[in-house]
Amino acid sequence: MADPRWTLRLDGPDLPDKALIGGKAWSIARMRALGLPVPPAFVVTTRACVEFLGKGDWPDGLAEEIDAGMAWLEEETGRRFGHGPQPLLVSVRSGAPISMPGMMDTILNMGICAETEAALGAEMGDPAFAHDVHRRFYDLYADIVLKCVGAEFPAEGDADSWAATLRETSGRAIPETPRDRLFASIDAVFHSWNGRRAKRYRKHHGIPDDLGTAVAVQAMVFGNMDAASGTGVLFSRNPITGERKPYGEYLARAQGEDVVSGKFTPQPVETMRETVPAAFDALMRASAVLEEANGDVQDIEFTVQKGELFLLQSRAAKRAPAAAVRIATEMVREGVITPEVALRRVTPDQVRLLLAPRLKPGEAERADMLCQGEAASPGIGIGTVVTDSDEAERRAALGEDVILARVTTSPEDLHGMLAARAVITEKGGSTSHAAVVSRALGVACVVGCGLGSVTGQAGRTVTADGATGRVYDGALAAEAPDEDAEADLAQLKDWAAAACPIGVFTPEAAPEARIVDLNAVEGGEDPAKLPALLAGAEAATGGALASEEGMGAAIAAKLRFVIGRPVLPLLLAGARVGQAHEDRETVAVAAQG
Amino acid sequence: MNEQTLALHGLAIKKHGDPAGVAQITGLPEEVVKRHLDAAAEAGRVNRAGEKYILAPTAAISLQSGYSRDFAEQRANAEMNRAYTDFEAVNDQIKQLITDWQTMEVGGERLPNDHSDKDHDAAIIDRLGDLHEKAEPVLDRLIAHVPRLKVYKDMLLQALERAEDGAIEWVSDARIMSYHTVWFELHEDLLRILGKERVE
Repeated sequence: MADPRWTLRLDGPDLPDKALIGGKAWSIARMRALGLPVPPAFVVTTRACVEFLGKGDWPDGLAEEIDAGMAWLEEETGRRFGHGPQPLLVSVRSGAPISMPGMMDTILNMGICAETEAALGAEMGDPAFAHDVHRRFYDLYADIVLKCVGAEFPAEGDADSWAATLRETSGRAIPETPRDRLFASIDAVFHSWNGRRAKRYRKHHGIPDDLGTAVAVQAMVFGNMDAASGTGVLFSRNPITGERKPYGEYLARAQGEDVVSGKFTPQPVETMRETVPAAFDALMRASAVLEEANGDVQDIEFTVQKGELFLLQSRAAKRAPAAAVRIATEMVREGVITPEVALRRVTPDQVRLLLAPRLKPGEAERADMLCQGEAASPGIGIGTVVTDSDEAERRAALGEDVILARVTTSPEDLHGMLAARAVITEKGGSTSHAAVVSRALGVACVVGCGLGSVTGQAGRTVTADGATGRVYDGALAAEAPDEDAEADLAQLKDWAAAACPIGVFTPEAAPEARIVDLNAVEGGEDPAKLPALLAGAEAATGGALASEEGMGAAIAAKLRFVIGRPVLPLLLAGARVGQAHEDRETVAVAAQG
Repeated sequence: MNEQTLALHGLAIKKHGDPAGVAQITGLPEEVVKRHLDAAAEAGRVNRAGEKYILAPTAAISLQSGYSRDFAEQRANAEMNRAYTDFEAVNDQIKQLITDWQTMEVGGERLPNDHSDKDHDAAIIDRLGDLHEKAEPVLDRLIAHVPRLKVYKDMLLQALERAEDGAIEWVSDARIMSYHTVWFELHEDLLRILGKERVE
């Protein structure tokens, strides 16, 4: 066969152009180029999509190239697509050079059919699992390719009954063979390029309409093949504490969904040392390589199949506020990143959360706990229990601290929730109205404390801890952590002070000036109104300042300084504004030069 | 349903509502809503609370009991009921999505979403767009039986597009007609039309 025109194998040390293969395929290729173990994959390039968009039909020769790509995956894995005894299943992913909403999501388990279900069941010694893989394929195909809701595929069914259900609910049929389904999915990816969201996003961001999307086809690996198989997640550092030590979870004989589902309890990743030592060593090496190559903490998804490690994905890890602070400062000390980068990796909101009031040590132990529910929105609320939203609003308006206690809340409680120091409910979980709305308002909230538990406390003074889900009798002592007492925070403060283009003082240290208190003027909580409110002032204070918009407005208004406590969120927000400003100036200078 | 009943129905959905808000979800002109609410207030069927209005308890009961007549056609219609069942299926996914929007997973623990991770937010707004595409045909089926529901569909798209453009409060902020607020009120409207109870 001639050189492929429309497809590319993701193999070898050379990194193909991202514009040609898309972001997802590019990260697979990059991991392979770093010498890391990744399941083999090939990609239908953006060139094929562009040809499709122009022509309104598949390019000549694309079908043959996909067949050849599948043959290569069969060779690499020693498995067969659509047939036993060891069937090859693949994932199909869209990937535009610039990631864009509205593109078709990933289809998994492509290649499963009646024949391969039987073969996979025999290979794993687990026919029920193979049957479930088959069922979930129908789920995904209905959801993602056919965009259909409400189609149920019961476990008792089989391919025939599921196909009938699908025809009935979506009005469309699923192709017969694995090859035709693969082609139909690739076709659906091409079509998603011209969906509402993708078109709108491109217009909004000035992205040309003729870039096209790529489609990555990758061999799937299974973590439930045998006792030497499993799946897990590894962080190159601890994402909760920030400690410089790989941290992760591993579940033997399991697929990725099992870990996420919460049905099984994963083991610490160190247990792999006993059961799959070679894979564990390879994983530790991969973690170090990826962190160094990317210059940030990595969140790595992996699977072990028959003792062999495969990396599925690696990306910058999400981290708790405390970890963000520690990792950013330590990485500067290690020489991995500069202080400027460290300041970008800790947000004002993270620091604000870290320095938010909490119960004093020992307080919780001494107090009587009245009830416990689900922690739904963090913060400490102290006040008198009120069971009616109108009453809560009225008493709060008179200056009283109230806690709104309801069986459940509904939209008619909004005014009471806004007035309350905390919201506590008897029924409902983390998706209940009370939880959802409290988080949106930033009010402490505990939900699901049990019938009769909270509405019976009317008139009592209580302390609600939205971070632990506990409600205590009486007013407990709360405290705000000291931003100067902790070395990493103090270090961050020094860097931020150097980068922040405007002075930030605590109320005691602030010089004399004409000060605007935004918390005391109407509209002071609305960032859009700040420029007008700050005009002509020398200094300002108030909650709305501790964001990039707020500090941006203070800097633009040429204030001499701002006042607040803690100062670090203000400094960080100011430093970010300062950096963004410098970036613009650098670009401007470069453009002139 | 006549204009006056519709204005009260809209107020019942809003609970605490002003004429502009009721007009927005019922499709009635604002001054028409205001006229009816003021008239109802005169008659003691509605209470004023500052700029806002609240349905009086007795009026709420008589509104409820009138529904079986007002919506007899919709309640008896199998197509409408099937469409509502599919709406519930999307509703479950919307609720899950809003929770995911407000929280984030960090090393297996769920923390409040501090919106520091733009990719996380963008991925969820993307999911919302996907869910909206799946909801659209279901909404169209409901609109076929109650044409005035189209205002909700338009508001949903508007909130979605604002969120997509970076104004992330349009996902779930309870104080504005965010996607979640509109969805919640549409759900409330449908529950009233079909005489069903909300399941938490």
